[in-house]
Amino acid sequence: MTERNAQWGDLLRRANRGEAAAYARFLTEVVPVIRNIARARSPHGADEVEDIVQEVLLALHAKRHTWRESDPVTPWLYAIVRYKTADAARKRRAGGGRQVPIDDLADVLPDDTAGEVTAAGDLTRLLGEIDDRSAGIVRAVGVEGQSAGEVGARLGMSEGAVRVAYHRALQRLRDKAGAVGTGQAKQPRPAKVDERLE
Amino acid sequence: MNTDDLIAGLARDPAPATGTGPEKRLLPVLLAGLAVTLALFFLVLGPRPDLMAALSDPLIAAKTLMPLLLGVLALILSLRAARPAAPFGLPGTLIWAVPAAAAALFVLAFMTTVPPARLPAFIGHSIPICLPAIPLLSLPMLAGLITALRRGAPVHPARCGALAGLAAAGLATAIYSTFCIEDSPLFYAVWYTAGIGIASALGAILGARWLNW
Repeated sequence: MTERNAQWGDLLRRANRGEAAAYARFLTEVVPVIRNIARARSPHGADEVEDIVQEVLLALHAKRHTWRESDPVTPWLYAIVRYKTADAARKRRAGGGRQVPIDDLADVLPDDTAGEVTAAGDLTRLLGEIDDRSAGIVRAVGVEGQSAGEVGARLGMSEGAVRVAYHRALQRLRDKAGAVGTGQAKQPRPAKVDERLE
Repeated sequence: MNTDDLIAGLARDPAPATGTGPEKRLLPVLLAGLAVTLALFFLVLGPRPDLMAALSDPLIAAKTLMPLLLGVLALILSLRAARPAAPFGLPGTLIWAVPAAAAALFVLAFMTTVPPARLPAFIGHSIPICLPAIPLLSLPMLAGLITALRRGAPVHPARCGALAGLAAAGLATAIYSTFCIEDSPLFYAVWYTAGIGIASALGAILGARWLNW
């Protein structure tokens, strides 16, 4: 435990000074721990666990500056993991089971079968409800299949920032679709959003 | 997107800029809030005419110094609450000295005030000013603190917000106390505490709403 603390502390210290390799290793090593905690909290299967794991990773990423090098890293890490897993579980409960009613983005391209046209309309409407920049990123990455690097170059964002923005935008679309979907008589087929980065 | 891809993407981001924590943001926003509070104070209330003479009485100075100490300690604690798993440490213990001292002063004043004078001293004449003024003077600083603390990662947002409310209220009460001429602890130990409590509750509500992440 203390050995792990020292090792992760060292990795995160180097990561916060700009060592990408140390950061990647830190994140890779903490993922199994996050996954275990997320699994204990979510009865709905592997997809949901992975969603939570990714939300926690994004939170760690956004808040990595709140760790002080003089503090032990594991309590800091676990506090964030607990907070975000509880948060994610709460959101899912609030969202009514959280089966995601957004169809595979590939299926909702307008030239697909007639049955999907409503879904395409739904997507267009949902994209209209989030900010233009995020909607643009979802269209470019999710629908048109551009890489995060291309989109980033066009928008003047780092590749990582595009991934984060894409992920966040999908999360918001799911939330919105969930909020609308519960009020509809005919629910769209629940399906996972195809996340097609690279 | 699979998790390994996400990690690869995150690792490619540049390192966080140094000085993005709540501490660095704190001073400018706190000073801005303080400036608004002081402007409000001087426009609407203003210090009592005999301030200097009054402050030489330790019992009167206490009503300015105790909330000041409370505010400074709560400020430190709110910053610690904004870092996951950061211990409260010494300030977390010291801060209890303030309510303890206020309670002690109240008991002391109760015993040294002749019975017929107790109720008038307790009720005073300015509750309708004191009670709203303390939360209102806290608000500008509280707003500033909340914006700064959003840079942190409080795992108990309401608690962090309450501490921010306590910090803002402590400083606001120290300022308010230079206007207030109710000098008996029978008054200020109760009604200042009530005003500070209202501001902290407000901080907790704002924290739950705005310090989520």
